[in-house]
Amino acid sequence: MPNIVEIAVSNDAFSTLVTAVKVAELVDALQSPGPFTVFAPTDDAFAKLPPGTIDTLVQNIPQLQRILKYHVVAGKYTTEQLRELEELTSLEGSPIPIRCQTEGFEVKNATVLQADIEATNGIIHVIDTVILMG
Amino acid sequence: MPTLTPPPTKLPPSTHPYAEVIHRLEAGGSMLPDTEENLMQIIGIYKAYAVPMDFYWRDLLYIAERVFLNPLPFFKYFLPQDYLDLPNHYAGESADYRVWQKGEASAHPELLEFIQNGETKQGIPRLLHHLWHDRINMEFAEACMRAMLWHQGMGGQFNDYLESEEYLANADRAIKAYFKGNPLMLGLYKLFPQMFYEKVREASYYANLGLFWEVMAPVFFEMSDRYDAGEFKTVPDAMDFLVNGIFIAAGRPIYHHVYIEDECYEIIPKSKGFTWLYEAALPYVEAIFYRTSPFRGTKSYNAQAGQVPDEQKDFHYGILYADVSPVGTAGIPPTLLMQDMYHFLPDYLEDYYQQHCRGEEDKLIQIGVTFQRSMYNVTSAVIQALRTALLYPLDDPNPEHLLKNRQFFEQQLDRFLRPEARLPDIQSQDYR
Repeated sequence: MPNIVEIAVSNDAFSTLVTAVKVAELVDALQSPGPFTVFAPTDDAFAKLPPGTIDTLVQNIPQLQRILKYHVVAGKYTTEQLRELEELTSLEGSPIPIRCQTEGFEVKNATVLQADIEATNGIIHVIDTVILMG
Repeated sequence: MPTLTPPPTKLPPSTHPYAEVIHRLEAGGSMLPDTEENLMQIIGIYKAYAVPMDFYWRDLLYIAERVFLNPLPFFKYFLPQDYLDLPNHYAGESADYRVWQKGEASAHPELLEFIQNGETKQGIPRLLHHLWHDRINMEFAEACMRAMLWHQGMGGQFNDYLESEEYLANADRAIKAYFKGNPLMLGLYKLFPQMFYEKVREASYYANLGLFWEVMAPVFFEMSDRYDAGEFKTVPDAMDFLVNGIFIAAGRPIYHHVYIEDECYEIIPKSKGFTWLYEAALPYVEAIFYRTSPFRGTKSYNAQAGQVPDEQKDFHYGILYADVSPVGTAGIPPTLLMQDMYHFLPDYLEDYYQQHCRGEEDKLIQIGVTFQRSMYNVTSAVIQALRTALLYPLDDPNPEHLLKNRQFFEQQLDRFLRPEARLPDIQSQDYR
């Protein structure tokens, strides 16, 4: 079974995310045993950010790392397990509200497009919006 | 006259006392009604604000980085040439992201001219301009910095870091280096270390505010240029430009470096990951637009008198609530800002003030009211930016998402339900 990074690299919909993770020097961290839960925004999700947002972030690695870490949680949480929870604490430190008690699966203001992609070192949920702290 | 905005489909009309404003926000508008007169006023004042702001950010960084703990900082408002030349990261050829297209990265020409000649336009020495108070009023910028320092705890990680062991260790290194060979100050540091740490924290807020305004000055200059070129037609055009500016700068680092004998001491390193949006812009808006504190001598802090709120979060003395009539009175910090903007008004705004109220006689007050309108528009941009970042698009097909947006807008406008709020006033053009 591939790890989190290998899954992202092999999927064309994650090219912005993969670039961002490489620039932020987080590849090694996401290849470590973990386990992690990653809320992975698609290229379309990044494209929805107003112009210029990403330009500034890729010039400032610690700041980019912080935004990316907000998409990662320590531990492996499947949809089934998340039904019991209302929020998770991200590696960035801020809480991520989760809503999947009834129908649908929402992470903060993002909708999960594909849930429960298993990796050797965790699990990926694909989201349609880049989530931000606050 | 502002047009009534119909409520968007899918949701019943809001029952909030400011329902009309909420519907306008839901349609992508601003709290400030979309009229030509409002657009002209706010753009004119942004330009007049950007010139002194170009001085404020440079001097704030100069004080944070070079003046630092000087116990007798008599010349802290005298910017050395290298800080006048300091390249703005959002203007000029070398910009990280060029927001101000036509502008240079160094100090604005109108600012340089004013520093040289002052209001008196006499070629008298700079020290005399200073003593005559014929200069940019940095005291206003410092009042804003102090409001941020005093209120603290307004989100972000900046304030917590100022209390951390790591920060104190960084501050300790800088304090010892700064006062090297000064046994008196080092002795005082040993006796009263907390006082010195607090001064370093203050310097960190100087840096924070300087880095915040470094972005806003070119944003406002660019808005003025675009308006002059006829590219802005409506108030929402101006607001949307601000929203984009907020996103462009959101990830810029907030840090505090001190230079002592040309060695850089990183009191808050860039590697902490502090960002313009979370550690500077949002705390700034909260501390300055909403809270600040009553003007000195106007309210009693005696608990029995009950004249100020028990909780700092309930303070409501910012520009969004201000009665601008006392502007023009000594000891009132916004007077200093109005006086600064007075020097750099575009001609169309000069003409406008001459036509209304008492013309020249009450110009500072008219400037104050315009500034208030313009800051309601900036606050609208912040609200729309937060909605973009944390909630849903205005045309989201899901009614539940639209309801969440509405609840957010209503929560924001609840802060203007108190009688001091000027939101109802700015709905009318007659408020001057």
